[in-house]
Order: sequence, then structure tokens, then C-alpha cells
Amino acid sequence: MKVPLHLAKEKEAQAIGFPPVAEAEHQMRLLAEIDDYRKSARSLMVMLETCTKCGACAEACHSYLGTQDFNNIPAARADLFRKIYKRYFTFTGKNLSRFIGAEDFDAETIGKWVTYFYQCNECRRCAVFCPFGIDTAEITIAARHILTRLGVMPRFMAGIAANMAKTGNNMGIPKPAILDSAEFMEDEMREETGLEIKITVDKPGSDILYIPSSADFFSNIDTMIGAAKMFHALEVNWTIPSTVLEAANFGLLFNLDVMKEQNERLREAAASLGAKLVIQGECGHGWRAAKMYTEGATGPAPFELVHVLEYAYQHLPKFKLNKLPWRVTLHDPCNYARAGDIIEQPRAIIKACVTDFVEMTPNRERNYCCGGGSGLLMDEMMEIRMQLGKKKAEQVKELGHLDYLASPCSICKAQLPHVMKHYGMGDLKMGGVMDLLGKALVWD
Amino acid sequence: MLYFIGQVLPYIAAGVFLIGVTYRVVGWLKVPVPFQLTLFPAPRDGVGRISAVGIELLFFKSLFKNDKILWLWAWSLHIALAMVIGGHVVGIYYLMNQFTLIGMTPAASQTMSAVLGTSAGLVLMVALMVLFYRRISIPEVKRLSDPADYVDLLFLLSIVITGNHMRLPTVHVHLPAIKAYLGGLFTLTPVPIPTDWVFVVHFTLVNLFLIYFPFSKMIHFAGYLVNRAMLVEAAPVYPTPAGTPLRSPFAGTVPKPTAPAGYPAGTKGV
Repeated sequence: MKVPLHLAKEKEAQAIGFPPVAEAEHQMRLLAEIDDYRKSARSLMVMLETCTKCGACAEACHSYLGTQDFNNIPAARADLFRKIYKRYFTFTGKNLSRFIGAEDFDAETIGKWVTYFYQCNECRRCAVFCPFGIDTAEITIAARHILTRLGVMPRFMAGIAANMAKTGNNMGIPKPAILDSAEFMEDEMREETGLEIKITVDKPGSDILYIPSSADFFSNIDTMIGAAKMFHALEVNWTIPSTVLEAANFGLLFNLDVMKEQNERLREAAASLGAKLVIQGECGHGWRAAKMYTEGATGPAPFELVHVLEYAYQHLPKFKLNKLPWRVTLHDPCNYARAGDIIEQPRAIIKACVTDFVEMTPNRERNYCCGGGSGLLMDEMMEIRMQLGKKKAEQVKELGHLDYLASPCSICKAQLPHVMKHYGMGDLKMGGVMDLLGKALVWD
Repeated sequence: MLYFIGQVLPYIAAGVFLIGVTYRVVGWLKVPVPFQLTLFPAPRDGVGRISAVGIELLFFKSLFKNDKILWLWAWSLHIALAMVIGGHVVGIYYLMNQFTLIGMTPAASQTMSAVLGTSAGLVLMVALMVLFYRRISIPEVKRLSDPADYVDLLFLLSIVITGNHMRLPTVHVHLPAIKAYLGGLFTLTPVPIPTDWVFVVHFTLVNLFLIYFPFSKMIHFAGYLVNRAMLVEAAPVYPTPAGTPLRSPFAGTVPKPTAPAGYPAGTKGV
């Protein structure tokens, strides 16, 4: 099987609970899994059966526009699934397979699924432009979930799931290192402001549980610092749980059983530390997984759940801010604009923090994905990732000189520096929105 | 043969159509929606949700902001189709005098009905031809298309062309006889089918199309509504209000199965 990414080895897949199925059993198991999925999620059948192949999605998809690969047209991508689905689960497909474009499962099926369902960023932009609102991300989520149950998944995803199970965060950071990093950030803030701004971990009896992205403890510390400064300015009682030092939930991106485990973990952390309010940090799909999937995956949740940008937006009038003299644009993470209802909040915050805010075109729910969405951050996919980021690079280039590109999502933050460098904008400064708030806050 | 077409086929067609469409839609609806698939920015209340889906339905808003040319033809097609279907109901029932109900003279109503019906029929025909041409002329769309996609359009086109044929000034169709026949079908009191060959062909094609309908992509009319309903669902609220039922068995505490139920463990592949 030739695919553009490294697949998890048998032991790695086994380690996270998905022992690979023998190749001879692939077809039988795949069909059993499809049958299981179609009976548990309405979206799969409806979206597979409603497409009229009008092709309107082609020009809406950055993946197709960037790669010019036919199978990256959303309707064609979904068709990789649809052809098999029709052949084995519909009356016409069983009897008139050629006529309705059904296809037998063959030796190439699994490879094609891996190749193309991992070139979809699950960004939902096709759903905005499809006349029926068909959301190819739903088909991609189903396909990846099913592949994982066959033991077929990117090595990258398996590694993250293993880290998650071991440490409660994607990067595999143990608690002592978390404390070290928190102390380092406290020192930084003391040096800059002269204030004792705390980043407390696992403090019982906290009112607020803050769930950062684990990357905010290493590569994106300005985002974490921004959040810590905000909580300090508001004088609230908050803490970070070492058991879920991770807003991200890669389960949504490759297997819903794994997602459910992490939804559980969040619920347990909130219960054990007694927090009534959970605030999710800057992570796109993590926000979607928490907001849109917690109830569906683990049942009624007893805590309030808010995104850090929504929280900052609600308290915006309370902050004393000194506007930075910067020209800044905002990249809307897909999982905020289309999947998470965070659209105007980051704009309001940025406008309060900098002198010159410019919109890229298109923006809000019509914005293009960064090309790293749905966890496509594998090094071996770099060439494809750059193609997926092409539309984003064009949008940013059109704006001329910029001082800062705000992209309040850890995956965007990991992907965009590569994209900007690749398309000749390596000097552009990038980071989150909380970073700006942290820098603009002034202290008496 | 005429007896079969006139007195048997319509009931088979209606049966297959109604049962088939119901079967498919119920098949979707009995599957749970385990997670909210709200597409933002989303309407905030019931009125907003109904109007959002309604505006989409009436104006094809998503398509309009995406592809204006495809929108023009797809929208014209569906509007003309709605007019044609509505026109058949009232035009035949009132023998084209339906506009007297809004105060027109019978002569004016006849003209109005003929003009509207003919124009809608022509728009429908042209739109179908343009969409067929689009399907074969845009390489990506051509590659996406299955044989059934062409057949769907040609099938509809054959119905529309035979229908439009009856509008030709040289063709005289006796409308009262058609009304009497169709009335007989609805009231289960058989009246012989008019022997006008164009009518018989048109009518037969419509019946065959109704039989084809539930097995084809024509089901998109229902999929549209079921799909849109998922996209405008209210987002979850936290803390979850007391008494909210579990959305699906997935939310229960069932441990992760290694294989779906019904999958025979250890069997050899096919």
C-alpha cells in the first residue's frame, strides 16, 4: 500500500487499542464497520445519498485548489466512500453497480482511503457552499474512524494518542516538566511586569479550570502568558489540570472512541478539582470536540464550558489596554468560524489591542483553512501540506505589509510558519490572539 | 396495454414512489444524530432555523454565493418545475380557469394559464439541456458523473419534451377528458385513458419516473431537508440542562468494542 504518510506499525496500533486486522479480512471488517457507523450516525447515509455530483464544491475546497488532484474535490473524495457504500448497502448498487457508479472493494481501496481522507482538513468549507450543505468532513471523520478500527492510522496520530493516554497531553510532557515550564513563564512575566502572576497547576478548589494547548507550554508560550495575565487582571481563582494539559482532542481527527476517552478525561478533571467553569484555550478542533462533542460522547455535563476568546471578549471592557502599533490580520480557524461559533470575539479583541486590524478575503465562515487542519502536521506530508496551504498564502500575500498574523489555534500555529516561509513570507510574525491581549495589557 | 398503462401502472407508480421515498427517509430518521453538527454562524431560535432553511430552499442561497451560473440554471429548473407541478394540479382541476378565482375572465385565465405553463415548460427544458451540457463539458463534473446522472436528466427531459409537445398549436389535447380520467384514478372509479398518443407517452414516462425516483438521486429533495435540519440544530449548552436525554447509545458508558456486533471473530476474509 503506497500512501503519502507513515502508518502506525502493528505494535503502535496495538498499544492504543487497535490491533491491525489481517489484510485478508480487510474487506469483511471494513463493511462491518461501515454498517455499524451508518446505523449510529445519520449524517453518513444522508450525506452519501444526497449528493447530485454538481461539482460546485470543487472551487470551494482549498485542498483541491492547492493540489489540483481530482480526488481532492469534496464530492470525489466522498465518492471513494460512496462507491463502496453503494455497492454493498444499496439496492441499486447491488444490482446496477456500473450504472450508479458503485465499485467493488479491491486491493487499492484502503490505500486510496488513507491517501485522500488524510488530505481533507475537515474544514467544513464545502458544507457552506454545497447547495445541500453536505459536509465532507463528516465522511472524512467516518472514514478515518473506520480505518483506525482496522488498525490503519497515521503513525503521527497513534503517537499522539499514546502520549495522551500516558500523560494527558499530546506532547507527552510529564508533570515535573509542566511545573518547570509554568515557573519559567512566571519568571518571564515577573521580569516584564514586576508582578507575581501565577500559573497554578492542579490547585484544588479552583473556580476555573483552564485547558491550554500543550504547545502553549513550549512553542506558543505567549498564548499561555496572555491567558495568565488576563486571569491575573480579573483576579479570578483558576488552575490548570496536569491530567488534561491539552485542549486538543485528536480522537476527533482519527477515531471517535479515542475522542470519547478524552471527553471523559476533561469531565473527570473538572469534577476532581471542583471547577464549575471550564475554559478552553486556543485550539481549533479541541474547541469543537469539547463544545460540540462532549454532550454527544459522554452525556450531560455538569460544568459550564467557554472558549478563552469568548471569555476575554465578555470581560474586554474591564481591561486597561495600550494598543500595539501593528497592522494585524486574523486567520479564522475552521473549527472556530464554521464549527465552533467563535467569529466576532477574536475580531473585537484584536481591534482593542492593535491600531490597525485588516480582514483577509474571504473571511469569517468563508475563510480558507491553513492546510494543517484535522491534524495533518506529519513531517512526511510537508509537500502536500504546502499545497494545502496555498490559498491561505495567497490571501495573506494580498494584504501587503503585515506586522502580525493572528491564528488562534495550535494546529494553525504549527502549520502557518511553514506555509509563509514556503511562499516567501518567512519574516511575518505569527501567533495567537491571547498573545496580543497579554502584550497590550497595562498594569498600574 | 392501454388498460395496463391507464388503470394499473399509475397505482404501481404511486405505490412504489410513496413507499420507496418513505422507506428511505424513515431509514435516515431512525438513525440517531450522536453529535450536533451545527454549521456556524447558525440561527439562534426556532423561527431563525425555519427561516434559514426556508430561504435556502426558496433561493438556493449557498449555491448563489458559490457559483452564479450553476445557480441560475439549477434555480430556474426547480422554480419552473414547481410551477409546472402546481400548474398541472390547478390547471387540470379547473380546466385552466383557475385564475377566475382571483377575478380574471375565463378567457383571460385560459391565456394566462397557457402562457405561464408554456413558459415554465420551456424554461424547464432549456435548464435541463444546459445542465446536461454542463455535465459533459466541464471536465471535473464529467469525471464525477455516473451514467445515472445523465439518465436522470434525459429521463426528465423526455417528460418535459412530451409535455411541451402538447402545447404546440397544431396538437389538440382534450383537457376535460384528461381531467375525467385522472379524477377516475383518484376516486378509484375507472375512466378509460384518453388515446392521444402524446399524452399516453407523457403519462407513461411520468409513471416510470415515479417508479425510478426512490432508487435514484432524485431523493436529494428529501436529503436536502434532513441534512439542513442537522446543520441548523441548536449547539449544546453547558452545563447540560437537567432532564436532557442521551443523544445516542454512544454517549452511554459502553466500553470500546474491538469489533462491531455481528462481525464474526476469526473468520477468513472474502
